[in-house]
Amino acid sequence: MPRRKPDPIARLTAPVRPALNRAAALAVVANLLWLVQAGAVAAAIGGALVPPALLSPAEGALVFLATGALRAGLGYVSGGIAFRASDRVIADLRARLLAREAGEGPATGVGIGGAGAVAALAGEKLDLLAPYLTRYAPARARVAVVPLVILAVAFSASWAVGLIFLISGPLIPVFMALVGMAAQDASERQMREVGTLNDLLADRLAALADFRLLGARPALIEGFAAQAEDLRARTMAVLRIAFLSSTVLELFAAIGVAMVAVFLGFSLLGAISFGTWGGPISPMAVIFLLMLAPEFYQPLRDLAAAWHDRAAAAAVAEELAAWEDAARAPGLGTGAAAAPLPGGFALTTRGVRLRRGETVIALPDITLGPGETLALTGPSGAGKTTALMALAGLLRPEAGEIRVNGQELDDSTADAWRAELGWMPQAPHFLDATLRDNVAMSAEGDVAAALEQAGVAHVVAALPEGVETRLGETGAGLSGGEARRVTLARALHARPRLLLADEPTADLDAETARIVTQALMARAKAGMALIVSTHDERLADLMDRAIKIGGAP
Amino acid sequence: MRPLIRIFRLMVQSQRKALLQGAALSLVVLLMGAALLGLSGWFITAAAAAGLAGAGATFDVFRPSAMVRFLALGRTAARYGERLTTHDATLRVLAALRVRLLARAAALPFDEMIRARRSAGLNRITADVDALDGIPLRLILPIGAGLAAHGLVFAVLWWLSDLRVAAAILVIHLLGAAAVMAWAGARAAGPSADAERAGQTYRARLLDLVRARADLVVHGRLPAEAGAVHASDAERRTLQAGLDRTGRRAGAALALVASAAAAAALWIGLGLVESGTLTPALAALGVFTALALAETLAPMHRAATELGRMRLAADRMGAVLDTAAAPAEGPAPAPDRAAPVLALDRLALQRLGAAAPVFEGLSLALAPGEVLALTGPSGSGKSTVLQIAAGVSQASAGRAHLLGQPLADWPEQALRDTVTLVPQRASLVAGTLRDNLALAAPDADDATLLAALDACALGATFAARGGLEAPIGPGGAGLSGGEARRVALARALLRRPALLLLDEPTEGLDRATAAAVLAGIRAALPEAAILIAAHRAVEIAAADRSLAMTSMT
Repeated sequence: MPRRKPDPIARLTAPVRPALNRAAALAVVANLLWLVQAGAVAAAIGGALVPPALLSPAEGALVFLATGALRAGLGYVSGGIAFRASDRVIADLRARLLAREAGEGPATGVGIGGAGAVAALAGEKLDLLAPYLTRYAPARARVAVVPLVILAVAFSASWAVGLIFLISGPLIPVFMALVGMAAQDASERQMREVGTLNDLLADRLAALADFRLLGARPALIEGFAAQAEDLRARTMAVLRIAFLSSTVLELFAAIGVAMVAVFLGFSLLGAISFGTWGGPISPMAVIFLLMLAPEFYQPLRDLAAAWHDRAAAAAVAEELAAWEDAARAPGLGTGAAAAPLPGGFALTTRGVRLRRGETVIALPDITLGPGETLALTGPSGAGKTTALMALAGLLRPEAGEIRVNGQELDDSTADAWRAELGWMPQAPHFLDATLRDNVAMSAEGDVAAALEQAGVAHVVAALPEGVETRLGETGAGLSGGEARRVTLARALHARPRLLLADEPTADLDAETARIVTQALMARAKAGMALIVSTHDERLADLMDRAIKIGGAP
Repeated sequence: MRPLIRIFRLMVQSQRKALLQGAALSLVVLLMGAALLGLSGWFITAAAAAGLAGAGATFDVFRPSAMVRFLALGRTAARYGERLTTHDATLRVLAALRVRLLARAAALPFDEMIRARRSAGLNRITADVDALDGIPLRLILPIGAGLAAHGLVFAVLWWLSDLRVAAAILVIHLLGAAAVMAWAGARAAGPSADAERAGQTYRARLLDLVRARADLVVHGRLPAEAGAVHASDAERRTLQAGLDRTGRRAGAALALVASAAAAAALWIGLGLVESGTLTPALAALGVFTALALAETLAPMHRAATELGRMRLAADRMGAVLDTAAAPAEGPAPAPDRAAPVLALDRLALQRLGAAAPVFEGLSLALAPGEVLALTGPSGSGKSTVLQIAAGVSQASAGRAHLLGQPLADWPEQALRDTVTLVPQRASLVAGTLRDNLALAAPDADDATLLAALDACALGATFAARGGLEAPIGPGGAGLSGGEARRVALARALLRRPALLLLDEPTEGLDRATAAAVLAGIRAALPEAAILIAAHRAVEIAAADRSLAMTSMT
């Protein structure tokens, strides 16, 4: 467990600090307007007891209402400022998250979640910062000012009432500090449980059909029920702490208010003669003090109620910090569409070294002209996929040079270079779009020819909605071989000058492998250069040359 | 409102006691709050009047002050109990609802199930269910308790004080709250649902972007996709800003309503004091009670802005809950051991809207121990025949019998115990190898599990990786396609079915392994009838006979 940083949230909220301060100031002013409202009520009722009235009933009601309207208005404005500040913080973080995930590539390293974790962080978890910014921050400002002002006012009217406030008030922060620590731990545990439940669900949902076919549906449901119950228990643990803390605070407040009320009652009846600055206390002052008493405790209670907002925000901030600190493997260029790189097709590499995690992969020098074919071979884990990624500019080499069409492959040429490439990854991921859009990807136009060449046209035609079918993310609805052939069709559809294919025949039966191989070779014969990474000796033998990756760097 | 009420009814059905208790406690909290403040105001004012009249010595201070303490403590305790009860009950209902949704998802028609995208299912079970907690906690219980409290307070004030004061408080609160809720509810309904939808779209798109990043970069689509992700977030932000404004306006309006009620109580009450109808203490009772009742309005504006989101979630939930319940369970029909294990009679499949049937007139009979290979090109309906035989898909004409009994008569669990289908894309789940095998046979001992692995030529593969404890990533990550395939086959063997249906079982296996696996399966289940949707010579060779399905399309 990394040690907790002093305040991970402060760093996130620094840009909107001035706006939050403005919102807080308005919230404080709104809160203090209660003094005016209380004064109006006290003056009117006090006047009924001891004429002449300072304010007539109608005047009292009017002052009360007008001040109430002003208070509501200030609350509206203050809330708006806080909302906009929180919206800005969250939107900036989302944009940063998106920019890094898109621009610099996914985080690498142990303990960093996958795409689901990133989506959860950018989605619902960042939203947890909003309650902190809109509720906790203003509540903290009110705690710093409002009780002190009320204390001063109370002292000026009756030192005994002031004393009651002075003694009961500080107990609250002390208690809150104790509760706060427990709350943060419980919050973190609950958030982890939410993550676990989501991961488990995603995994189980993908395998639903298998559960059913294996007669394991009852077991699936039982297992999930246990997990859901666990989440409920963890959430209740967080809530119990939150409720308990606010109950204890309410208790302090209730006792304080009751003591004030009883003390004031006795002084009015003359049973108590101490506690004032000489002379009996007026009914108006008594009613005023009674109305102030709950407001003395209210900011403290609001802060306590918002305490688990802070705990949740802190948990999110820490996860965010871990995400930001994670190492990344940035690529070249922007990934935008571009005009193809000018010049005759040529690919050469010299002394390229690639880093993958802790290992460095040495890429043997490659020279490839139009229509030439090359196999990258080597044992699993030797770095064949890494090499293909580097040739596509998806990875920045540690050393050496890749030259494409006579120019260096760098940020300025990568996008144009990729406009000439076809790409056939090992594990296809289909976007949530129609099969047609997934095949067309970069190049508009009819996908029928490409589907035909990949030998998958009749399979697509047999789908319920043909090319308009929306596939599952890994191609559910198609067999593995069919999904692979759809990615081949996508690679061919772009009419590339060079196709990079990662294990195009792995996990395929002989018949499908033959279809894929034939389609690749037919295009190579027509002038397309081809680099395959492969274990398949038959495929490697068909290439003009083969180079082995791995061995001493 | 109907879907909301339906979900609430569902909640009441399962947590009737807790929700009733919670509702009662909510009411108690509001009533004690009103009594506490009302009594305090009355007590102070009455004490002041008594003190002024010189009757301080005869004024009964003890009963009111004891009552004040009792109400203060009682209210605190009741609130703690109310929060715990209602939250616990709600979370229990939601956990049960999540489980129920997963159970429904597991009962979807087979082809829908395998094509469903995980993110949609995940959203249903997580985000949508989360949105429902507001129905009891922020909508129905607070409104119900608030209305009841207003009714009772009205009666008591009429009795103790004056009809005019009581009526002013009631009418201003109810009319004001109703108007604000109606306005805010109508204004927020659309945006609130849209914002929820935009949020879910954002999450799904971000997930797509991260998962398909390399593909998007190579195809020059990255900035466009990142822009689309950003746009869905921007859309949500705009909607949320509007919602926030509506919420704050409603909040300010409700605060104004509360101020107006108290001001009216002050004005009317003190007016009645001037005309000699009321004592100042009873006028104070009205004012302070009105102040306390502001508590009933506080939760309303959040409920109004969340209404649309809740309704969207409740609508979707309703649609899911309306679909057919889990398949009927019951005793298995008495199998006729003399009949073929599987008998298909003139089976035909005609897809909706298609001119020609996919196949027709398909008849076959399969005896115990017999292996039949179905052959034919992709799209000829081989997979569908297996799905029909497994009872997860329907033919458009013809009859199917399992062990002499019509397939339709078999209840789900008995069917699963008799027939096992290994589909083309069998999924593994995250956990260990043992976890995956245990799905098929929770009670099997290690020897049985290892025997099944050996039959599928996997014994040696996993021996080096920790045997049964070998870790398997989400969706089978960490295994090659061929290994995952064989684990799925081993899982099927553990079911010991009378009828084993294999859909392209050796896809991704080399010839020698494929032959060994097919032999191993037959040896492990000598009594089983095996039907293979075959596409490789090795599969056809392993069968006793084969049946060609000619494509009609």
